[in-house]
Amino acid sequence: MNKLKLSYTSLSFLPILVCIPLGYQLINNIHFGGFKLFQEFLISAFNPKIDNEIIIIVINRLNETILIGFFSWLISIILGAIFGIISSNIFYKIFNIPNFFYRIIRFFLTIIRSIHEVVWGIVLMQIYGINFSIGIIAICIPYIAVNSKVFAEQLETIDSKSFESINQINAPKFSSLLTIIWNPIINTFKNFGLYRLECSIRSTVILGLFGIGGIGTSIFLSFQTLNFRELWTYLWSLAILIILSRLIFKKIKFNTTNKILSIFFIAVFFITILFSFSYFLYFIFNNNFENFNSLSYLFKSSSDLGLFDFLKLILETIIISLLSTGIAISFPPLVIGIFNNNTCKIFIKIFAFLLRLIPTPVILLILLTFNNPSLSLAALTLGLHNAGITNKLLFANLESQDRRNYIAMKSLGISKKTSWLLGLFSQQAKSYLAYCAYRSDIIIRETAIVGVIGSVGLGWQLQESLSSFAWQEVTLVLIAYSSIAIVGELINGKIKNSLT
Amino acid sequence: MNNTLLELKNISYKYKNNLILNKVNLKINSGEKIALLGKSGSGKTTLMSILNGTIKPTQGEVKLFNKSFGELDRKHKSKITTIWQDLRLIEDLSAEQNVNCGLLAENNFYFAFKNLLNISSFKKAHKYMQLCGLHNSVYDKKIRKLSGGQKQRVAIARSLIQESNILLADEPFNNLDPKLIATIKNLLLENVDKNNTKKSPKTALVALHRLDLLNDFDKVIGIRDGKIFFNLKTNNLKKLHLNKIY
Repeated sequence: MNKLKLSYTSLSFLPILVCIPLGYQLINNIHFGGFKLFQEFLISAFNPKIDNEIIIIVINRLNETILIGFFSWLISIILGAIFGIISSNIFYKIFNIPNFFYRIIRFFLTIIRSIHEVVWGIVLMQIYGINFSIGIIAICIPYIAVNSKVFAEQLETIDSKSFESINQINAPKFSSLLTIIWNPIINTFKNFGLYRLECSIRSTVILGLFGIGGIGTSIFLSFQTLNFRELWTYLWSLAILIILSRLIFKKIKFNTTNKILSIFFIAVFFITILFSFSYFLYFIFNNNFENFNSLSYLFKSSSDLGLFDFLKLILETIIISLLSTGIAISFPPLVIGIFNNNTCKIFIKIFAFLLRLIPTPVILLILLTFNNPSLSLAALTLGLHNAGITNKLLFANLESQDRRNYIAMKSLGISKKTSWLLGLFSQQAKSYLAYCAYRSDIIIRETAIVGVIGSVGLGWQLQESLSSFAWQEVTLVLIAYSSIAIVGELINGKIKNSLT
Repeated sequence: MNNTLLELKNISYKYKNNLILNKVNLKINSGEKIALLGKSGSGKTTLMSILNGTIKPTQGEVKLFNKSFGELDRKHKSKITTIWQDLRLIEDLSAEQNVNCGLLAENNFYFAFKNLLNISSFKKAHKYMQLCGLHNSVYDKKIRKLSGGQKQRVAIARSLIQESNILLADEPFNNLDPKLIATIKNLLLENVDKNNTKKSPKTALVALHRLDLLNDFDKVIGIRDGKIFFNLKTNNLKKLHLNKIY
């Protein structure tokens, strides 16, 4: 009997099997009461509310979103670079500091990174109350850690021989460090910085859904009042903001040989550090912790959460992650492969853009109009949103790929779909899977968002525990979240390494 | 008077169970120009790396100015400059910025900053680049855009600009045409001669394969399988000696 051999191509399609349990539960949970609402939601997309009043609201709300997004980006990218430097090998080599400290800082940043900004936001709001600056802080905390990882990874690519040669000159340590890290830092900022600004704006929108402010809050309020026309006005204005920002980013070119521009960037760098530090001090000494007076609350508060229930929640969170990852991996190649013509490609791109544009909680709320809350629904939501992102990457890679194999196969009379699969996709499958492994790290963290809205997993428990000020439970949930994310990151790291 | 600048005492170096250098003893006196001969893989680069302190020997002691390497401060260590065989330039920096790296030891942090931002005129760098045959059009070019010969000259200029007492060069004439070899050879070795008038004369240890260049050196050291086979004046070098190491 022939052994089953799994290629990277088949591995990209195999996760579609998650649709069997998912579909079974979703069909069982379907209810027809909300179909009319769903229909209304779809129709409103073509008929958004446009009048003077709403335009003013949109401008104000977008302003807030941009402000929160921009400041959190600026602080997180600069502090991320600094933490990236002190969590990279090169720093310890130059200063002859034992690697022990390097491991501690990396571990600390991994823990911070493992908790989603929404979770940070909800916890901070509960402690501190709703505040504009909470949005910035909530985004900054995990983003600093995420950015530091990217910067550190780039610094690890520095050729050890260049390092040795600079080190051999016996220059002052800081001069050597600056000279050797300068370009990797600048290049990372050029390639990655502006993408993080877009991420920061998206996170601001999601935090807005939980009450931080900005356009996210308006989206949530219009959904609560079932005012779908207004909802679409906000969504389309957000789409315009994202498209415009991308167009502007494409035009911006960082030229480090321009002296005035360089001095400006350095001034921004130092002002941001100064501002962040002063704000941190102000926050510590002038805050009014409404609901969390001391750490002793952590030990005094009791927990009603049984071990069995807790393990069940952890299992649910893991299952949501696995199912969502399955959808995010398999949907894009399957859909592009089946509907492989130019007209369909345009529709797929638009659909994928909408999936990326509409915040996950809103997608979930829309799906809840005709389906009961369940683990499958949460997984489907998260999977679809992330499929929108993996789809964009796959399209971009396929379009930039050499098409000679594809053309050659078609000329042999092989069908268009098979030629696409073997001549185009098969060459991308490996790198696509490597990106999906990275994406699944993010999916694990995002289970918190769908959990809160969709009544499943640890996210829901977090919301419940916070509402009742059960700090011990909150701590337990956060530890569990962090552990799942760290284990997931370790596993995905191994997968990524084997694929690259 | 003892004029020993560098001294290796019973130096051995092991890498992954392979003995790269085996009980090497060597003295380099001030003002000496020494050629280091040996096949590829004989231990020349490792010997250079131990002499400049980049790697620590598994056994033995390295002395510079009669002091153990570990006891020396940054200023003393910076009196050795190296031209590496693989150049070890920073690919993303321009030729001028790389040459300026040679001045990092004698300048403060602000200089490093100015160098990276290009917010100053670096006359000294230009002078050394011109000496090495590099002209204006090359100054701002990134290393990765330069030819092999140009890169080689940038590495040499970076080393010369340090104006150090001791020059260690690992096959510095690679990638150069015959005319440039003559120029660079004179530059490297003349520099040494000129400074002989100073209190601490310049000294050079140059690893090379080209036997036609040996006449410019005072001494020749032959190395094979991590052991020094001969260490004699250039006039005394015979074919027999060369047969031992090649």
